[in-house]
Parts: sequence; C-alpha cells; structure tokens
Amino acid sequence: MNRVANQLIELAIKAGATHADALAICDTGDSISIRNGAVESVEREDAQGMGLRAFVETAKGLAFATASTSDMSDQGLKQLAEQVIAMARISEPDPDAVPPVGAEHPTDTELADWSKQHPDNGCGWNLEQAKAAALECEELARSYSEQISNSEGSDASFGSSQIAYASSDGFAAEYGRSSASLSVSVIAGTGEGMRRDYAWHRALHADKLRHPKLIAEEAAERAVNSLNPISMQSGETHVIFEPRIATSLLGHLSSAINGRSVLHQTSFLGDSNGEIIFPDFVSIADNPNHPDGLGNRLFDGEGTKCSPRTIIESGRLTGFLTDRYAAKRLDLPTTGSARRGLTGDIGIGPSNLIWQAGELDQAEMLQEIGNGLLITELIGFGINGVTGDYSRGAAGFLIKDGKITAPVQGITIAGNLKDMFANISHVGSDQTWFGSSAAPSIAISGMTVAA
Amino acid sequence: MSETNHLPVATETLKSVLSHLLPAGADDGDLYLEHTCSESLALEEGRVKHVSASTHQGLGARVIKGEAAGHAFTDRLDTKALMQAARSARAIAECGTNPAPIAIHNERPAPKLYQAINPATGVEFSTRKGLLERLDTLARSLDPRVQQVFANVSSSFSDIHIVRMDGAHIHDARPLVRLNISVVVEQDGKRETGSAGGGGRFSLDRMMQGEEAERLVKEAVRLALLNLDAHAAPAGSMPVVLGPGWPGILLHEAIGHGLEGDFNRKGTSVFSDKLGQQVAAKGITVVDDGTIKERRGSLTVDDEGSPTTRTVLIEDGILTGYLMDRQNARLMGMHSTGNGRRQSYSHPVLPRMTNTFMLAGPDNPDDIIASLDRGIYAVNFGGGQVDITSGKFVFTTSEAYYVENGKIQHPVKGATLIGAGHEVLQQVSMIGNDLALDPGVGTCGKGGQSVPVGVGLPSIRIDDLTVGGTES
Repeated sequence: MNRVANQLIELAIKAGATHADALAICDTGDSISIRNGAVESVEREDAQGMGLRAFVETAKGLAFATASTSDMSDQGLKQLAEQVIAMARISEPDPDAVPPVGAEHPTDTELADWSKQHPDNGCGWNLEQAKAAALECEELARSYSEQISNSEGSDASFGSSQIAYASSDGFAAEYGRSSASLSVSVIAGTGEGMRRDYAWHRALHADKLRHPKLIAEEAAERAVNSLNPISMQSGETHVIFEPRIATSLLGHLSSAINGRSVLHQTSFLGDSNGEIIFPDFVSIADNPNHPDGLGNRLFDGEGTKCSPRTIIESGRLTGFLTDRYAAKRLDLPTTGSARRGLTGDIGIGPSNLIWQAGELDQAEMLQEIGNGLLITELIGFGINGVTGDYSRGAAGFLIKDGKITAPVQGITIAGNLKDMFANISHVGSDQTWFGSSAAPSIAISGMTVAA
Repeated sequence: MSETNHLPVATETLKSVLSHLLPAGADDGDLYLEHTCSESLALEEGRVKHVSASTHQGLGARVIKGEAAGHAFTDRLDTKALMQAARSARAIAECGTNPAPIAIHNERPAPKLYQAINPATGVEFSTRKGLLERLDTLARSLDPRVQQVFANVSSSFSDIHIVRMDGAHIHDARPLVRLNISVVVEQDGKRETGSAGGGGRFSLDRMMQGEEAERLVKEAVRLALLNLDAHAAPAGSMPVVLGPGWPGILLHEAIGHGLEGDFNRKGTSVFSDKLGQQVAAKGITVVDDGTIKERRGSLTVDDEGSPTTRTVLIEDGILTGYLMDRQNARLMGMHSTGNGRRQSYSHPVLPRMTNTFMLAGPDNPDDIIASLDRGIYAVNFGGGQVDITSGKFVFTTSEAYYVENGKIQHPVKGATLIGAGHEVLQQVSMIGNDLALDPGVGTCGKGGQSVPVGVGLPSIRIDDLTVGGTES
C-alpha cells in the first residue's frame, strides 16, 4: 500500500507538483442479515482507492487540488496525477495554504510502539461465526415476548481496512484496522400500534462485542416498553438524554468547535474559546488512543501525530479542533484533527469523543429530577449550527415522582444548544460506547416540549 | 465521455462470470458495472479554493433466491476478481453452477430522459470558476450584512451497464449537475444563514445560462436576512399551511417511505395491508413519477434495468400502489414499478422513490393562508426523517411565518414539525392550484445509501400538526 502511495507522489512531482500527499485505502468486508430465522442477505465487499492532493506554484502563489480514483492500474495512477495537476493550476492560490511539509509526524519508534499496542489481528469472525451470532440474536429478540410481532432482522458484519499515507516530505506510514458489529431491530404490537426499536454494538474485535443475548434483550425490551403511548402537555420540562442519545450532543459540540466552522463564522461557539460553556462537573476528551475506541489513530489526514486532549475541562472549552490550515489561520496549535476521505478536500473531526461519567446511576438521576421526560429516541435534523437553535422529533417516557412511567411519542423538544450545554443539571455514571464516542446519561433543564 | 454502449469488460469474460454467478434454481440475478466521474469546484472567502475530481468504477454481482439475496462488490475489474465476486454472491443459493453459457444481447432501450453526455463537457474549469466568483460578488453587493459566501458547482456522469441473468444487457448514461449557494449574514453581533440550490440531469452549460444562478444567490441572501428577524416559533399543535414545491418533502417522509415494497412485503410499515383503504382526505392524489425529463429524481431505467414509470400511490384519498423493485414485486405477486435503485455498484438494490408529488387542487393559495386563525405558514424546509413502523415523521422549517387572523405576522425560527404519516393527509382540508416541483436539490437516505430524488406539492392546509418551537 505504501508503495502505491509513494509511487503516486512521485508521479505527481514528475507532473509538476511542488508538494503532494496521498492516501490509499483497501477495504474488505462481509455482512450477513438474518430475518425470521433465515438468511436474508449476504454481502461481500472488496474496495480500493487512492486520493491525491497536489500543490503547484503559480504566478499568484501556491495552489492545490484533490482527486481520487478506484482504478489503481499504472495508467489509472498516471491519469490521476496529471488530472490533479491540471486542476491545481486553475485553482485560486491561498496565501495561507499549508503544503505537506514540516508537519509533526510520529517518529519511527512511535509508529512501532503503536503497532505493538494496536496489533491488527483481524476482527475475529468468519461468515459462519457472524451468521451464528446474528441467528442467535434475532431468535432471542423475537422470542423475548409474545408482544414481539415482527422482525426487521439482525445484521452481523465484520471487515478490515488497510490505510496508507505518504507525503512528499518523506513521511510514509500505514496501519490496519478491523471491526465487527452486531445489531437487531424488532417490532412490538400490531397495525397502527406497531413500535420498532433496535440495539447495536460495534467493537474492534468480535471477542469484545456484547453478547447477542444482551443486544437481543435490549432491542426487544425497548420495543415492548414503547407500546401504548399516552399524550402529554406542551411546556417547559427537565429531560434526561439516555447514553445512546447523549452521543448526539457530542456530535453537535464537535461540529461547533470545528476550526473550519469557526473560520467561516458558521459556529455558535466561534467566540467561546477558553470560555466556560458547561457546568464545572462536565469534562469531555478527544482521545485517539483508547482500548475501546473505533476512532483510534496515530496520525491524522495530514500525517500529523495525534495525542489525547481534553476538550472540555471542568466546563471550560480548551480550544478548537484544527488541521494545519485552520491552526495557521486561527493562530492556534494543530490538534491533529485533519479528517480525510479519498474524495474531496481535507475536513476536521475528532477521534474518539469521550464524555466523562458522573456519579449518579439512572435511578438516582430520576429521583433528582422528580418530574420530566426520559428521551430514548431523536429524529430529524433541526439543528442550526450558526445559532445553536435546536428542535427535534423525540420519543421517550414520562418521569413522574422519580419513576419512569408511560411512553410518549410524536413530540418535539426544542431549545438552544448554548443554553442546553449550560443547563446540564446531572451527568450519569452509565457511560456507554457507541462506535467512536462514549457518553453517560445527561440531564438538561428548561427544554420546551411540544405535543 | 460520450455514450459508447461498450461494456468496460470483455463480453466473453462477462459471459463466463454470469454463467458462474447463477446457480440452478436462482430466481433472479444480475451484474452491475459502473464508471462514474465527478468534478466539484467550491468557493469560500472569495476564492475558488477547492477543486476536486473522482473516478469510481466497479462491479456489483447479485443472486436472488426467494427472500434471500447474495451480493458481492469489487473495485477490481480483472477476471479473477470478477469470478471471486460471482462465487461470493452465489454462495447464498448453495446450489451448483448453471451448466449452459448465457448469451449476452442488448435490450431495446427505453426512451431516454436525458442526454448521454458528460454534463461538464465543453465547460472549462475556468468558466465554472468565473461563475462562482461572479456569484460571490453578486451576493456581497446585495447587502452589506453578507459576511460569508459559499458557492459550489458539481457535476457527475455515470455510465451504467446492467446484465441480467437471461443475458439482457441494458445501458444507461446519467448526467447530474448541482449548484449550491449559502451565505452568512451578521447584524448587531447576531448571525444567520441562508442557502439555495438547484440542478438536474442536464448539462452544466445549461445550468449556467440564463438568470437561474443569480436567482439562487438572491434567494440565499433573502432567506438569511429574513432569519435575522425571526422570532421564536410556537410550541404545540396548530394548523399549518405548506407552500408549493420543496415542502413536498412532507409526502416523501410521511407517505413515500412507508409505501416502499420491502417494508410492505415484510409488514413493517404502518401502511402494510392498507391497499384500497382511505389513507388521505378526498381530493388528494399522490404520484411517484420517474419519467419526467431531466429531473434530478428521474431515471430512464432503474438500477435493475426496468424502465421507470408514473405510479399513482394515492388516488382521491385511496391507497392504490406501492413502489417496487423486482424482488419485492415477485414476492408480493406484483410488477416492478421501476423503483429498484442503488447508490452505486457497491450497494444493494432497494425500492426507492424518484419524484414524489401531490397533484394540484382547486383552491387559491391566498385563500389557504387567509384561512389560518392562528398557525404557521411554512414555505421552505431543511431535511426530514421518518419511522416507517410508527409512521412518525419530522421535517424542519427553514422559512416559516406566524399567521394570525389570516395575516402573516412575522418570520419564525427553524422548527421541527412532527406528525404521523397515516394521519397527516387525512387532516388536509384545502389543496392549492399551484403545484410546483422542487428546484432539483433532494437527496434521500435509506439503509445507509443516498440517491437523488425530487418532490413537489401545491399549497395545502393541514388542520393539525405539532410545531416544535420554544414559545409555549
């Protein structure tokens, strides 16, 4: 893989680039779906691709372009290099453009240590083992209760990626990454009373997956519990976001502290660097090296070394997420947050976002809240990143006198993210991982419910 | 690239891959070869800083037996990789190979709905760059409060070859273009954003002609400035009037997904077993039409090679049809409606919408707004989502007004509207005579796959919908 990435850099330099960097990705993956006890689909993927970014010197300064291809033949690579140079020549130079030279790359020792610490031993499943897990999970979910009336099936998938990065300043590295996941979705009730729910888990290795029985029971219990919803009044209320919903708040936070959004004045937190934006009991980390993190990485999309960082320290925003360009423009350190796919320009994103657990378990949190709403599902995209205005469809349960009571559905919850962050009243002890983020239950006061 | 109708892999190779793919006893199966080139230019901070291109090619092999499907996707087009893909896909059927070689023949093409020419042909990068720079200047000249302008022009061209298990070879070449503008405005430390876009299956050259691009800039600036003055939206249930065009996303979420064949075959949709029943108020007719020339959601043939059609989903309030691909149609004893779609060769086929809209009614749009005692008039929307099992759907306003005593009072901030698909169309009491289709910006997500779609709507009045504002 590294050989191809280096070959591509050479071709780009030969075609006229002053600097270039390249990404090569090979993915193989399998997945199997079981529905009503029978195989519904089997998928096998074998994908490859190269992405190239090249800089050229023009009369007006340094300009660049990006291009990608899945055609890795010699001819395909040559075409890619020539195409990207031609495009770079028409691109408008940016005096702040940062070519791939002088980044703080990981050392050879760090690369070697990383490989030892994160050996890619595959994901631990073959198709038969994945099938067995999905069969067991679906069967247990369907037989959980007589109220389970239908199934959307269970999916088990596993795969490996090989990712190589090379740049014209001589840095080249590659690493492998594997993961396995298991999910199930079932329906309780009939006709217009039908309710669907799901559960899933994804881990770096099949051995680390939650047992199929736990996933099955969670999905089935959730579907059954959501039957026979009652109606509620519109008004202001205290809400608790379950861990699987609370991870969405991490997503909104990381979008708002994205250096590009700050540069473009499209973030409601653009003026909040160093400010207290959460209560002092909230701490959130961006950790690229966690035993359970699906977002682990030693270097980012520009080859910059990644290190663990605290984003929110006792309620205070410690800085924005940056790639080298945003860092230069904002006069901030590079956080190694360049995120890069094969296609398109470099973006910015976190590695693993981890919301530190608090001390209260769910029952204690319910007691503290007294009356309010436990949110178990959110739908829709009603978030305005510029203003922080927030309005989403929701479902969950009424909390009455510290106890979970009847389900409610078809409601909305609304507020402003800045206020929601500030109005967090409690953080639960039930921190749970979902892919590359982990969050506990989060209680927020002063949200408006419409019903 | 112009239309070649030439397979990117030798016919002899495909013949043996196909024979290898299809075991005795399979119900269906196909090979799907795709070559897609995309180009994109993006302007920010007054400069066209981002120029990118991609080339994606590969094969999807598929075998279907009963309710089961085997898929294999590969980016490698050498014989060994193709044979391996065929073997992986047919593992599902667990039978022997088909002994007889299959002859490949060209299927008579369906009438073409767009030109088989790369939409970027003849439009130099420098011309596209010039356009974006002009739009940036225009946006900034419209109002001094404009702080940021983002403009993006993109095009793609997909060359698709479908070879079915009987050897029928179907070719389609699909152009797609898109122009998007968004702006950030600032006044007294308060920022807001507005955006507008357009596109379809035609040439970039045409997208750039006339006043359309300028109109989009004016629209984006107007929306952003309007939102600076927006008040908090009300919270609670009330009557809502939807304007024409893009608000048709209501139909897409509330009705369309719930009528897709897979969910109905499995009985997981709230619309399962409701064919022939009243699901909407009298006077409401909803269609999904993939045959409209050059629309973003249109296709000459779907991704199974079936010509697209106009499917009447609801006729005068009665549920009359589902959206079908070949597998679900066979299992339900129906016919494909030409709605089998996939994001690319590396995704499975699912029944999906094309252009979904409601036919016009008798009412004057002004009378519909005037009918509101206290409610919301929503003209433009961002995205939406639906739970097809409970029927609960949401969509979020990006331009909406509070109305009292039939008069528009003031704009309101973006609010999510929530309802139930099987109830909302029963609540429609007025239908405008002003049907419009959206400007060509829709993208639909399902099962992790995105495909371009269209929507449309005349103005309508919904008597009761929950508005997710913050003002109790």
